[in-house]
Amino acid sequence: MTLTTESDRSAGLLPRRDLLCRAGAGFGVLGLAGLLQSEGLLGREARAAGLGRRALTPLAAQQGHFPARARRVIWIFVNGGPSQVDTWDFKPGLVRRDGLSIKTFDPEFKNTTGFFRNSVGNLMASPFDFAARGECGKPISSIFPHLGSHVDKMAFVHSVYTESNNHSPALFMMNCGIPRMGLPCVGSWITYGLGSSSQDLPAFVVMSDPKGRGLPKGHAANWSAGFLPGVFQGTHLRPKGSPINNLVRPKQMTDLAQRNQLNLLRRLNQAAVSDQPAAGELASRIESFELAYRMQSAAPEALAIEREPGHVQALYGIGDKRCDHFARQCLVARRLVERGVRFVQLYSGGNENQRSWDGHADIQGNHTQFAGETDRPVAGLLADLQQRGLLEETLVVWCGEFGRLPVAQTGKKPGRDHNPHCLTAWMAGGGTRGGCSYGASDDVGFKAAENPVHINDLHATILHLLGIDHEELTYSYNGRDFRLTDIAGEVIHEVIA
Amino acid sequence: MMRAEGCDQDTRSDEPAMGSRQQPVAMIVAAVMLSGTLVAQELPGKAFAVSPPSAEDRAFWSFRPLEIGQPPVVGNADWCRNGVDRFILSRLEQRGLAANDRADRRTLLRRACFSLLGLPPRPGELVAFQNEHSPAAWSDLVDRLLASPRYGERWARHWMDVARFAESGGFEHDDDRPNAYHYRDFLVAAFNGDLPFDRFVRWQLAGDELAPEDPLALMATGFLGAGVFPSQLTEAEFESARYDELDDMVTTTGVAFLGLSIGCARCHDHKYDPIPSRDYYRLVSAFTTAIRGEIATKADWHHADHKVLVTSEGLPKLKHHADGRGFPHFYKQTFFLSRGDVRRKQGEADVGFLQVLISPQAAESRWRRAAPPGWTRTSFRRASLAGWLTDVEQGAGRLVARVIVNRLWHHHFGRGLVETTNDFGRQGERPSHPDLLDWLAGELIRGGWRLKPIHRLLLTSSVYCQDGRVDEKRQQDDLENRLWWHRPRQRLEAEAIRDALLSVSAQLDPTMFGKGSLDEAVTRRSVYLTVKRSRLAPTMMLFDWPEHLVSIGRRAKTTTASQALAFMNSVVGRGYARALETRLALEGEKAFEQAWQLALAREPRADERTMIADFLRRQEQIYRRAGRTDAARTARVDLCQALLGMNEFIYID
Repeated sequence: MTLTTESDRSAGLLPRRDLLCRAGAGFGVLGLAGLLQSEGLLGREARAAGLGRRALTPLAAQQGHFPARARRVIWIFVNGGPSQVDTWDFKPGLVRRDGLSIKTFDPEFKNTTGFFRNSVGNLMASPFDFAARGECGKPISSIFPHLGSHVDKMAFVHSVYTESNNHSPALFMMNCGIPRMGLPCVGSWITYGLGSSSQDLPAFVVMSDPKGRGLPKGHAANWSAGFLPGVFQGTHLRPKGSPINNLVRPKQMTDLAQRNQLNLLRRLNQAAVSDQPAAGELASRIESFELAYRMQSAAPEALAIEREPGHVQALYGIGDKRCDHFARQCLVARRLVERGVRFVQLYSGGNENQRSWDGHADIQGNHTQFAGETDRPVAGLLADLQQRGLLEETLVVWCGEFGRLPVAQTGKKPGRDHNPHCLTAWMAGGGTRGGCSYGASDDVGFKAAENPVHINDLHATILHLLGIDHEELTYSYNGRDFRLTDIAGEVIHEVIA
Repeated sequence: MMRAEGCDQDTRSDEPAMGSRQQPVAMIVAAVMLSGTLVAQELPGKAFAVSPPSAEDRAFWSFRPLEIGQPPVVGNADWCRNGVDRFILSRLEQRGLAANDRADRRTLLRRACFSLLGLPPRPGELVAFQNEHSPAAWSDLVDRLLASPRYGERWARHWMDVARFAESGGFEHDDDRPNAYHYRDFLVAAFNGDLPFDRFVRWQLAGDELAPEDPLALMATGFLGAGVFPSQLTEAEFESARYDELDDMVTTTGVAFLGLSIGCARCHDHKYDPIPSRDYYRLVSAFTTAIRGEIATKADWHHADHKVLVTSEGLPKLKHHADGRGFPHFYKQTFFLSRGDVRRKQGEADVGFLQVLISPQAAESRWRRAAPPGWTRTSFRRASLAGWLTDVEQGAGRLVARVIVNRLWHHHFGRGLVETTNDFGRQGERPSHPDLLDWLAGELIRGGWRLKPIHRLLLTSSVYCQDGRVDEKRQQDDLENRLWWHRPRQRLEAEAIRDALLSVSAQLDPTMFGKGSLDEAVTRRSVYLTVKRSRLAPTMMLFDWPEHLVSIGRRAKTTTASQALAFMNSVVGRGYARALETRLALEGEKAFEQAWQLALAREPRADERTMIADFLRRQEQIYRRAGRTDAARTARVDLCQALLGMNEFIYID
């Protein structure tokens, strides 16, 4: 598991052919390797650890390949699979064909497209009204009264498709680039590539549903670092109790006592640091205790949304029973990115069915509820980021793991089943082109029809906005140079301002 | 996109459709099987063409036959204790570099205890070792350590990384595999009993076929089935999920035993190594009908029969959430899949092996094993694979031997002779000492594939026993210590850190074998922590525990603030300090002398004594002013906690 290229044994040179062949080395590493070699720092010993000297300060900020438009990401993961035709992708064709069999539109339609094969109904128009919003005049579902006023900030992609019609593989696909478990997720790749600009907060933070509705399917594998060093995995803020492990000092101790104890530890450790091998590693560990000491106060401070003025809290919808929980998380997200956290992912909804956007039964009730939980908070987040001048360099992503079928899922109240062929994602801020719409679904919103966008393309675009060439961000593991975008990925330049 | 069932006709222009989809490949395969040699022949679909390995492919260092030479003659023969030293010193002398002297006995004792047992020396052990004056004192010590049951626990854990071993299925439900822990017990017993490594390999692939009466052999097959598997499947995913599972088996087999990324050849011929996609599917074919199942058996340490999770064939299927939807668990045939796509089947794949690791004179048929008379439950395809894999002369055995001796070196020295322990292909590093690697592999095979003699060889070498001294001159010549002129300092892994904390605080429960626990507060060794993929032990994760999803040969070793927070604030961490303090029976200076002895196997130095005294005075004062009645004791606990936080506690010289 090395990230470095093989060097010529004696001269420390990297023959070009070897370099290409072994590729390895993402940019940061080559750059870093060059730098450290010139300073005579890069020991093979240290490199064996998988990160080279970076193992000592794995989260130190790194340079990208080219100037970045976005410096940080807030990803609203609309968990469970939001229905494109009931949210952002208005389909007059679906209204016209309401009640007809989908075979009249697509004779190839199979009963296995969704998750349930015995409850496939007819085409069903959205139960929600759509009205033109913003200067761009985009028709938006009535479930987003607040978000609708921000459409001019959003770049819509209506033609995203994925590779699985099942929650967890699709979640892995959206988070890790393949529909299987075990690969690093976007947040891990990005923190591996760019490090963090915060010295005393985790670089990559995940927040899940605080209402006891569970974790997204696949659990922590969705913010896993895969084969990347564990330091790049997402820090999951626990919804209840102390949000970060071990943040509170033992109750027997006072602050003064802990400071005195750490001073002793520092002296004991320093007495042993010399020019011996791994001295850098030892010094780095001494420093980690100081960092930890600072984190004890920095992390609670970052999470202390009660310190925000009332009007800011109100902007997010704190105090509004329907959305208070998500509003708090959105505000925390802003406070985190403001303090240098690189990547924040928030999950709307918990597990499957009625616990998330997984509207199998009663799409109208389900989406009304979950849109209601998030509409004001996300709108507040966009407004707040903008008024603070943060939006320009903060990329906000809104999407789920797949879309939903234009046909009804039959039942007491009509729902919609999973649809891997088409979903809508939008991005705002961070160099995206607000108010634009890219790609299109077919007439009824069943499949991506115009300019289809694979998840790898979406990832490539996100990395691009962050100043990373998705083909160059690699990690060598068990004989292969892995990428977030596997062997594909095209940047969608049309959504970039 | 969604994958439809059935095999669609392939009409893509880059891969011409085959007139009769399945026959041509099958015919070629049959021809190959009959003649036993490979003929270059055009296939209708270029993806699965038979392309015999070139002479250049075969000449790649890791595929070559072992070249076992005599240990070279060296100038400073006095420094050398065995052949290992001669290989190392010879290279150093060529570069005009001297090796270091022997480290002191305290350093050596700690080093060997952690290397072999993953635990600090017990109280009294140092004094005993220091008073041992026989010239064989060191090798006797190494033998004693190798005989300790703690050795198997330490080395089982190393292999668990390689085997991506866990006790749950991952994915959406992460259902428990309650009888999977027997595989871990097999590993502990196998290492302790010094099971020959070739048998160790064969049993993990086909113990149920090769030694069905031996409980250890059955438990060993947990290896194949230890990977993740989705618990929720739609009909459209049944077949591709099975191919993913087969891929996990073949990929892990390739990486663990051969150090080769065979999995890369699933969708196309391997880009760098001579592993055609055709070889991949023929290897996959060995596992066609292999599934997880349960067998009742009784190991030596069991009082009664236990249900053991095995990987075998013809056993009742375990329950799966998709059973109601008709999930078949496996299919009777394996097909060549164009680009790994189950919709693009290109004929049936029969069992075969990596062509580049079959000697040109040999026929694959030599490893074909038929089931013994009367045996019908399994196909013996895995037994055939196991035979090829461990055949030194004609098959892959030489590479298997190279890979495992390198793993041993890696763990004892902190870096393998081949740095990329899981990659012996072109993308991997080249060996720093190819002659030594081959010699060690030769020694392993000559000694009947027993690992303990190799451990002994490594630990009794002078290169292992060197001290860590460095100087500018030699650093300029070999900064990275590739030539091994000094002993590199090593940080302990997660398990060794936790086990050392438990041991020093006298809380370690030595119970071996049996069900593990998810609870980190349980005081058994860390190897007995249950590995549940969605609930990986938090402290272990802090110190770079793998995610147990894919094979890991080398762990990262990161240094983070979260680790420091755990030392400072975790309830469990504080508990170690309290338990250590309780253990200190004596008052005053004697108390912290004892603490230093227990944790670091040495007395506090003079400068440390001053720091300690100053600290205790001030800390007591802080607590008294805060109104605490147990100021002195709390200060002593704080001292113990600082001691356990010292670099020296987790970095071994």
